[in-house]
Amino acid sequence: MFLSFFSDLFNQDFMLRALIAGILLGIIAPLIGSIVVIRRLSFIADTLGHFSLVGISISFFLTYTFGWTVFSLRPQYLAIVFSVIGGLLIELFRRYYRNYKEIAMAIVISLGAAASAIFFSLSKKTGSLYNYLFGSILTVTDYYVVLIAITSLVVFLLFGLFGRQIISVSFEETNAKFFGINLGVFQLVFIIVLSVVVSILLESVGVLLSSAMMIIPIAAAMKIGWSYRSTTIIAILFSELSVFLGLWIAYSFNIPSGAAIVSVNIIILVIVSVIKRIMIKRTLKKTPEIANFDVGE
Amino acid sequence: MQIDINNLCFAYMHKLVINNLSFSLSRGDFLVIRGKNGSGKSTLVKCLLGINPVKNGMIFFDHEDIVGFKKWTIMGYVPQKFEDFNYEYPITVKEFLSVSRLRQTKDSHVLKLLDKMGILEIQNDNINSLSGGQLQRVFIVRAMLNNPRLLILDEPTASIDKKNVLYFRETVNQLHEEGVTVILISHDESLANLNYTHVLSMSSDFSFSFQSRENAELTPGVNE
Repeated sequence: MFLSFFSDLFNQDFMLRALIAGILLGIIAPLIGSIVVIRRLSFIADTLGHFSLVGISISFFLTYTFGWTVFSLRPQYLAIVFSVIGGLLIELFRRYYRNYKEIAMAIVISLGAAASAIFFSLSKKTGSLYNYLFGSILTVTDYYVVLIAITSLVVFLLFGLFGRQIISVSFEETNAKFFGINLGVFQLVFIIVLSVVVSILLESVGVLLSSAMMIIPIAAAMKIGWSYRSTTIIAILFSELSVFLGLWIAYSFNIPSGAAIVSVNIIILVIVSVIKRIMIKRTLKKTPEIANFDVGE
Repeated sequence: MQIDINNLCFAYMHKLVINNLSFSLSRGDFLVIRGKNGSGKSTLVKCLLGINPVKNGMIFFDHEDIVGFKKWTIMGYVPQKFEDFNYEYPITVKEFLSVSRLRQTKDSHVLKLLDKMGILEIQNDNINSLSGGQLQRVFIVRAMLNNPRLLILDEPTASIDKKNVLYFRETVNQLHEEGVTVILISHDESLANLNYTHVLSMSSDFSFSFQSRENAELTPGVNE
């Protein structure tokens, strides 16, 4: 079963596309995810996913209700546009409700869910909602792979050029200007890049699972990482492992690829947590004098 | 750095907190700001840091108005608490300091400062494993990274152990001796072990007294 998967991986075009898309997403999702987690914005990907769905639903609405074919082939365009609008709305509300920043996400996620339901229903295309809720990396097109490649390049460039500033301001915003960082510009660029990445993830893993691709590998890596660098590298390795195993499971058992990838991610998280716990217990047994202290995990 | 404050007024919504506060500091001065809770110490610091917006002509750094001021990298700030700081995510002390430095500041400078603060051995430790005192020193190093000309520090409250308060004060004296203009907000009645040059005493009825150390020492109760 594994051998036929391997031979198909390189002989079947759709498998190769899925592999390339998966490898690239496996790097950029945890890379952006680390910043999302540090800034305590874990729900943001979900929120932006829901809001980019508005773009997809409006594309369908314009195509099937008015016969405008501009967006019929590439609903991703409006998905990206609406994801960015959602991101900007979150930043706006976050500034408005300074001490209750999570309110921003609750408002934007509800607006996104409501508006997309309305437009899907008006275009009488509620059936296609499933594809966008769960995505499918095995059916992605060449065009989509190019889109992921360009997005990855932009993310790598941003991290290569401004990585230090991005990490510094994510850990602590108050002092940003003393280190030559313009907080307003950072927040704006970050939310735009994040919105684009989320809308790109939409097609391969879907609205409901896009945040999992970003957050879960980081959540597992945080348990065993000893520095920022090691945590990020471990998260990328976990993410790539889950993409590869997820593709194999999806291909072999004919289940949705996004669900398979995210399930592997969760299994990795559980295994890492259990191993960490066992290791802490062993350390405590060997050194009983520290057993009375609270040991962080 | 020369600092001039002219008739500074600041109000939160409609509640006046600072009214007509004026004083000047020259390069290399060491000012201690003291006063009870609610006397406006933190509000004044927030004005100086550009967090609280003030009107034209109220605050000048080296004769440059704070309104439109852009050279914030010549300042360093050490907060009293680190509520805003994310402790959970793994990052080593060296990594944390390296990402905060300006492009022209070398990594070797980071190690030199860590050594000077006596915390070189914790450079590879995870920041969430540090004690309160160690974390305070890491933040002082961070504020000093880009060779600031003005350092604003909010002293930890007296509730943390006395040894750390003493160490903190000795460190501030040392930084001042190197020629940095220092503004320290003290939450402690006693100004012992501080080599300050000026004192600003603030009270909640908007009155204030700005005195040089010599004059302040003649006033009873200032330097116990």
